[in-house]
Amino acid sequence: MKTKKKISIFQIINGIIFILVAFIILIPMWKVIVDSFDLRTAYGMKLWPEVFGFDGYKQVFANPTLSRPLLISFFTTIVGTLVALTLSTLGAYVLIQWEMPGRNLFAGLLLFTMIFNGGMIPTYLVLRGLHLTNTLGVVILFPALNVYNLVLMRNFFEGIPASLFESATLDGCSPMQTFIRIVLPMSKAALASIGLMFAVTYWNDYTHYKLYITDSKWYNFQMKLRGMIQGSELPPSAGSNATENTVKNAAVIIVIIPFMILYPFLQKYFVKGVNIGAVKE
Amino acid sequence: MKKKVLSLLMAAIMVASLAGCGNDSNSGGGSNNGGGSNNGGGTNNESGSNNGGAENGGSDAAEIVKPEKITIMVDGTVFTQENGRDAFEAKLEELLGIEIEIIQPDHTGYYDVVGQTIAGGDWPDVVILSSNYLSSYGSEGVLWDMSAAWEASDLKARQEAYNGASVVESMYIDGALYGMPATHGNGCVTYVKQAWLDAAGITTLPTNFDEYYDMLLKVKEAKGVDYVLAAAGFLNAEAPYINYLSEFYQDAWPAFYQKADGTWVDGFEEQAMKDAMARLAQGVADGIIDPETNTYGTGDVRNKYYDDSLGVFTYWAGTWASNLKNNLNNNGIDSELVALPPLKEIVPPLASGPAYIDRVSPAWCITTQCANPEGVFKYFIEAMQDGGDVQFLWTYGVEGVHWSTAEETLYADTEKPKVYAAGEFHMLDNLESPGSQYTKAHIDPMLALTALAGDPRETTVAPEALAAQQLFNANSVGAFVVPSTAEMNQYNGDLMTEKQSLVARVALGQMTVEEAYKEYEDNGYAEMSKLIVDSLNAQ
Amino acid sequence: MGEKKIKKAKPSAKKTLARMYKYKGFYVMFLPVLVFAIIFFYAPMFGIRYAFTNYNGIKAPDIVWFENFKRMFSMKNFWGAFWNTIQISVIKLLLTTAFAVIVSILLNEIASLLFKKVVQTIIYLPHFMSWVVTASIFSLILSPSSSGLVNSFLVKFGIVDSGSMIYFLGSTKWWRPAYYVINLWKETGWQTVIFMATLAGINTDLYEAAAIDGAGRWGKMRYITFPQLANTILTVIILNLAKVMNLFESAFVLQNDATLSVSNVLETYIYYQSFNSGGIPNYGYTTAVGLFKSMVGMVLVLVCNQWSKKVRDGRGIV
Repeated sequence: MKTKKKISIFQIINGIIFILVAFIILIPMWKVIVDSFDLRTAYGMKLWPEVFGFDGYKQVFANPTLSRPLLISFFTTIVGTLVALTLSTLGAYVLIQWEMPGRNLFAGLLLFTMIFNGGMIPTYLVLRGLHLTNTLGVVILFPALNVYNLVLMRNFFEGIPASLFESATLDGCSPMQTFIRIVLPMSKAALASIGLMFAVTYWNDYTHYKLYITDSKWYNFQMKLRGMIQGSELPPSAGSNATENTVKNAAVIIVIIPFMILYPFLQKYFVKGVNIGAVKE
Repeated sequence: MKKKVLSLLMAAIMVASLAGCGNDSNSGGGSNNGGGSNNGGGTNNESGSNNGGAENGGSDAAEIVKPEKITIMVDGTVFTQENGRDAFEAKLEELLGIEIEIIQPDHTGYYDVVGQTIAGGDWPDVVILSSNYLSSYGSEGVLWDMSAAWEASDLKARQEAYNGASVVESMYIDGALYGMPATHGNGCVTYVKQAWLDAAGITTLPTNFDEYYDMLLKVKEAKGVDYVLAAAGFLNAEAPYINYLSEFYQDAWPAFYQKADGTWVDGFEEQAMKDAMARLAQGVADGIIDPETNTYGTGDVRNKYYDDSLGVFTYWAGTWASNLKNNLNNNGIDSELVALPPLKEIVPPLASGPAYIDRVSPAWCITTQCANPEGVFKYFIEAMQDGGDVQFLWTYGVEGVHWSTAEETLYADTEKPKVYAAGEFHMLDNLESPGSQYTKAHIDPMLALTALAGDPRETTVAPEALAAQQLFNANSVGAFVVPSTAEMNQYNGDLMTEKQSLVARVALGQMTVEEAYKEYEDNGYAEMSKLIVDSLNAQ
Repeated sequence: MGEKKIKKAKPSAKKTLARMYKYKGFYVMFLPVLVFAIIFFYAPMFGIRYAFTNYNGIKAPDIVWFENFKRMFSMKNFWGAFWNTIQISVIKLLLTTAFAVIVSILLNEIASLLFKKVVQTIIYLPHFMSWVVTASIFSLILSPSSSGLVNSFLVKFGIVDSGSMIYFLGSTKWWRPAYYVINLWKETGWQTVIFMATLAGINTDLYEAAAIDGAGRWGKMRYITFPQLANTILTVIILNLAKVMNLFESAFVLQNDATLSVSNVLETYIYYQSFNSGGIPNYGYTTAVGLFKSMVGMVLVLVCNQWSKKVRDGRGIV
């Protein structure tokens, strides 16, 4: 009885804290949201748009060349995330084999790449030598091996009870079978979170495009929108009522929208706990 | 623990061996590189003799062979793919009779890609470069010296006839010309809102700083605003450093320049600069200059100008005059702007009278790997400013894609339709961002260096833009290229950063001018400056 | 535990081969990772040699051995920027991680699923704003004028008077606190992704068992949730230490001429060095700087890894 009461007070305080947190997060964002709908530009903050209008968004979407970059973004994000998750899970699975000869060597090799790099020009020369420049290959493959994410993945795998592996081995499972039957199903939350991190990296990527792709037909959505945000240096449209600032803010909001669509699909994996019994059966 | 260290060591060894492999596999690339530079040297020599040839045969043009194909590397100032580059390329090939291959990296990553490409050893024939890169790449033998070709060309005569030759002359570095500008560099003029002048009852425009400052105080009083003007930073790191606050800097120059007698000096150490810093501090203290100039980006300042919390704005001449006007209009603010001629105190280095500064323009360069630089100069670079069809193409683009003379109505379904009669020249709707018309191709008609036959610019350019540009062109002096020396490369980064910091702190009242210069001396920056000046003078 | 035994007993070559055979499947599985590492990371590492040369990307590199390092260490503001980097990024890392952990734990306690979803989505949003946009919003919010939200509040509650508003981003005293707050605003939410996933991975049986033992909310948090998170926290911190010296964009967009003494970090310092000098950068020099940063990162990681082994039963974080 007593504990229950305590819990509900805790719940209330906790709720209030998060309402406050949400407000603190939203206030600065509100400036962008309001400005993106406001046909009047002002330097300061406003509660509501002074003259409401969709012209900023209209002007961004009036661009007839947005659909191809959008497709490229979807394609590279999906394929890239799959490749990246494959590499991360395979690598992480090998790295939890603490008794495997060479395991520490492999770990050292990976860690080394996280800390040292050859630099911009040598990287370009290698990629060019492999004929990867100016192809989608470079933007899909280059970010796929991310040691940071791989180690985090390994961290999750470590949480899987050793007894599961033992029983799998007794059942005659090969490493690959264990990996597919035990490790992956046990790691949905990890796959969802690291997959999300990869997806966001791919979706937001422009550095690799900027450096390795000179043919604009392979540009992604982010690259186009950045061009537009920077292109607010361009004159406002003759037929539009929006000022340059309205268009720029609309573009900033549009970048966020795909994530807001994607996120709810992944969210359930962050909430559910893992039920080991289900896996065993 | 030992095991871990050992494995890291092993990893390191493996790296070393891999690096070895890399070395080996790249020794091909390396020698390629070497080969590239050797080649460069070779063609350099060759081009030297060819130069002679060009000079000798200046009258006999038949010696110069027309190239069959030219590879060009360009930034976003040439039409992008989305904006009809293919049509532009096809038309250019047709007019020149040369196959053109365009490599166009993203605008923001342009110089990274140029650097990678140069390092990769497979250079394009032609590349657009800004002035920084011009002197460095030029002195390293990447770029072909086109001075002889230019001196002997008809292009020079055409530019001289249009006041454009001085822009090219300002590009000379130690007697060499590594690139051909296609336009003036453009610069900033000060735009004052007419409504603010009216509110303060000011009818005559200021011609000297006292009158100007008096005007600022009066409009501040009349409008009851916190501040009258702002800029993005008190001092820019890039030449021409002072152009957003030229009234306050006047004759001060915060960097190196060559005096009339040929000696180099650091303008930062001159009295003019100290006076300028005192004026900035006074302006901030009097509530004239917004102290947040220290943190603003250009977008912030524009927004404050659009929402009428600022009344005076020093910004780009030409197209921006009409951009500012349109944005003010869309914002419901009185958009009548007055562009001020330079005050009588604004006399930058090398100018003989009051003048704004014309920034050094990006240039079209020919690399030393180009097999036939004379041909590329004559048939590509020179043709770009031929005063005829090719220049027209570079200025306005392709008929039916970027411009038209057909009878039509643009933006028929909006509040502001534009009706054109048959035969009336007009720019077409932007392919990439519909709703706005093209204003130019690569060459801004207001900034051209040569006359263009049948130039329709009076009909395509907004009158306020043309007026501002003409005011600027009539009252500007070309900036200059500072040669790069080893000392410059080593120290100027630190030095310039410190200068910016001192100017900002003085302006904000965090320190006095005297304290600033004491810090400058005490921390060894005066020494660095001297090393650079000496290296420039030793050249 | 078993590992320790193996460590002590030095296995003969034959035994090792036998064990390698046993693990053959794993070697095959590691192959793709290895191939990627070689192509994208090890193959370009021949570039490290440029650190010992003068190389401008045009002529063949010219060996100068340690000249570039000498030049770097003799630079006027190099050490200032170096210590700024260490301080700013380590404090930023610790603050962001601490806040992310607290937020994750509290978030995990929210009973209403809908509320939780909404809050989670909102706190992730700032991560998707570019630094340039973030900087321009916050310089407005922190502006020392009537349009500055924070100063308006301070004036309203009589903490400062309207004549002496605080120029947060333009004062050497306030710049860093402001910088940390902006970073917390932008990245705390995103950092919770990994902690939320860890929490979701905790076996629910553990909580049930604890409940049977009579543990309350705090007891469960303290004895189950937190230890389970500790592993992830440690990993996140140590991995990020490797990148401590790379701090660039956030400092670059927020710093300004008046506050450089407290805000200039190594990467921005090097950037100004090459950009403000007005020439093409010496690629050898930038590589030397990069190599130096990597060495610092490696030292930090190795030191902390030793420490983590004590906590983690002899296993490093990698």
